[in-house]
Amino acid sequence: MTTKPTTTPTEDTALFREIEHTGDLGIELTAPTRCELFRRAVLALAALLVERTGVAEREQREITVEAEADPDLMHDLLAELLALFTVEGFIWRDASATEAGRSLRVTVRGEPFDPARHAFRGEIKAVTYHALMVESSPNEWRARVIFDV
Amino acid sequence: MELIKLSDYLWEIPKTSSMMVPGRIYASAKMIAGLRDDPALTQVANVACLPGIVGYSLAMPDIHWGYGFPIGGVAAVDACDGVISPGGVGYDINCGVRLARTSLHFNSVEPKIHRLAEAIFNKIPAGVGSQGAIAGLSIDQLKDVVREGANWTLRNGYATERDLEHTEEGGVLAGADPDRISERAYKRGAKQLGTLGSGNHFLELSRVDEIYDSRIADVLGLELGQVTVLIHSGSRGLGHQTCDDYLKLIASAMARYEIRLPDRQLAAAPIISTEGQAYLAAMAAAANFAWCNRQVMMHLAKQAFVEALSISPGELGFELVYDVCHNIAKFEEHSVGSRKQMVCVHRKGATRAFGPGHPALPASLRPVGQPVLIPGDMARYSFVLVGLETAMRETFGSSCHGAGRLLSRTKAKREAGGRDLRAELNTLGVTVRAHTYAGIAEEMPHAYKDVAEVVEVMEAARVTRRVARLKPFAVIKG
Repeated sequence: MTTKPTTTPTEDTALFREIEHTGDLGIELTAPTRCELFRRAVLALAALLVERTGVAEREQREITVEAEADPDLMHDLLAELLALFTVEGFIWRDASATEAGRSLRVTVRGEPFDPARHAFRGEIKAVTYHALMVESSPNEWRARVIFDV
Repeated sequence: MELIKLSDYLWEIPKTSSMMVPGRIYASAKMIAGLRDDPALTQVANVACLPGIVGYSLAMPDIHWGYGFPIGGVAAVDACDGVISPGGVGYDINCGVRLARTSLHFNSVEPKIHRLAEAIFNKIPAGVGSQGAIAGLSIDQLKDVVREGANWTLRNGYATERDLEHTEEGGVLAGADPDRISERAYKRGAKQLGTLGSGNHFLELSRVDEIYDSRIADVLGLELGQVTVLIHSGSRGLGHQTCDDYLKLIASAMARYEIRLPDRQLAAAPIISTEGQAYLAAMAAAANFAWCNRQVMMHLAKQAFVEALSISPGELGFELVYDVCHNIAKFEEHSVGSRKQMVCVHRKGATRAFGPGHPALPASLRPVGQPVLIPGDMARYSFVLVGLETAMRETFGSSCHGAGRLLSRTKAKREAGGRDLRAELNTLGVTVRAHTYAGIAEEMPHAYKDVAEVVEVMEAARVTRRVARLKPFAVIKG
């Protein structure tokens, strides 16, 4: 088991880049390790939903997902977190991730979403499987996710 | 990709070994030139690989790159031997459009546009972070909503009998099973009945600025200068979650049914399978939620008119012209070759467009054909069309659904950088109220194709006919 330290890049642009998709919203991101890749995807999702710097780290929530393949793990992780936002109204500023075999445990730190205080950027309907990619090279891990908006 | 020109407005992708049928795209030469390298054409070919597909894998002129299916895609599969694909319906199950007319002339409303837009903006929640338009709905109450569809709105004072008659399927898709909707989907939808959502969803106040067919316009109750309300929204989080739930279930079942498809997002299961039947029952339930959602919003818009303009409901004369869905799968009888066949028509970003005389239309509309509502962009225009007989023969009774995006959301936002978009739209005669700036930037007029070109192709192909054009003067965005 490896535990990754929590570090939040000051700019979300350092986390991911938006890619061109005619109808929807796609992101690509890279990271030095698999665990950090998933952590950055978690932060990217928050950044697509709200202005992340306006979120205070008052509470935390923990999510565990498990899947045979990494693209499924990415889909399921982000789908769980999207539900955390849409069902429980919880938004996060930071996250840490721990991996154990095919399982991934993510802790997100944030607070209840408040439209009066948090700058909402727009709804995300779903995490799609379309062109979903998680892969590695000797130097880095890469992912691409397209959201239906 | 090889494309054969069949006419000035119809192009064919020849059948290859993996395709069950050829692909056909309705488009002008100009549109096709822009599509040559577009992944959407590959998606038309991919859809042609669905087991049981009949006729053609069709694309309407507003085709653009989707996920699995292209947006603007139509696929009819045999009702017994075919497959159902949640991706062929989309995440926003029964996303659709409704048009209401009023007795008001634009001149009488023009001095009060800002007050009216503000009243509607305050009355209809966007969704996220709000308590919804109807607070405190329990899961049991939501089960009634998805079981009864628009009848629930009638029973609870949000609709009239006439509204239901002027809604596709009467606002109730048969076969809905509330127990096929997950608890998470109910929770996502709990505070969202009567909410607009964001993205390309909107409520638009328009005036009728062009009549193309006065006889049919008269039947639809449309006249020049008249104020109308166009609402575009769908099944909100309840539908999004339902699609996600069943994509996963059906993808996991594909190997068992020996279904192999070129794109995971096309995941499909036999219609007659346990998984296929479960999805159809859940899809119908989510579709019913969407009809209730649009009906409640229309009711709220009507209240906002009465309050903002200090007029009586009688003076307002607010009536539904029609409600269409453009993300759905429906069982319909169509001619396939020389015989009638029951098929399941997937319409992903395509509108049903039944021609005159079709028994599914209410008696008042049967002589003229089904109204087909085609929103454009925020500044130019939207169109009211009617279905023609050709649609029944060539497109499984289907037409286009909108303008089609020209720019990605990312590019649209980039091009909007540093501009005062509200002021720009104001100079074009459009008042905008939006919950997010991105909601305006991503949806600027320049991000969309000219919808007039789209409806012209459908008219040239004799699929639909233009009846009236609507010019927006106020737009509410989520």
